[in-house]
Amino acid sequence: MVVGSIYQLIFNLQENIYEGFIDLFHDDNPLHVDSNFAKSKGFDDKVMHGNILNGFVSYFIGKSLPIKNVVIHSQEIKFKMPVYLNQVLDFEAEISDYFESVKTYQFKFKFLHEGKIVAKGKIQIGVI
Amino acid sequence: MLDRITKVFIDVLDEEEIILTEETCADDVEEWDSLTHIQLVVGVEKEFKIRFTSSEIQQWKNVGEMIDCIKGK
Repeated sequence: MVVGSIYQLIFNLQENIYEGFIDLFHDDNPLHVDSNFAKSKGFDDKVMHGNILNGFVSYFIGKSLPIKNVVIHSQEIKFKMPVYLNQVLDFEAEISDYFESVKTYQFKFKFLHEGKIVAKGKIQIGVI
Repeated sequence: MLDRITKVFIDVLDEEEIILTEETCADDVEEWDSLTHIQLVVGVEKEFKIRFTSSEIQQWKNVGEMIDCIKGK
């Protein structure tokens, strides 16, 4: 893992992920569960919870990096566009910096749908 | 230099009131724990555009020794 390394994944906002999120965290805000409400507010349909994307980031760090002995120090995300059920998202992360003294990596990442950025953010992880 | 390091501490600790001296150590700052220390080292390396080694940071006992290490870069 070196500065400039790029990692790419594909995530599908499937129904089981959406329903599982609601079951676990009980966020049944009408924006997320009521299509008519969401459309009345200008959205195309009920909006998927943005923090589902944070869950995908967790998978990226915990399961898809070449090393497994890592811990997330910080994670920030900006939601740029709403995401909807069954959308397929392209995820891309790049190692933006490495601090050898404290064995810490920084990443920049983005989620795209059909080429448009729907969310972007940063992660910092430590090697344990 | 102390003011630049203070700026890093303020940013990392999200604490505007922090006052550092060269004698300040982790025991003097409530939120300065092991994870915060990592964030502080990262912040200092970025602020001064330098890189420390792990053995260098392990020798620091206070902010003054951190400053001495920065000056040595």
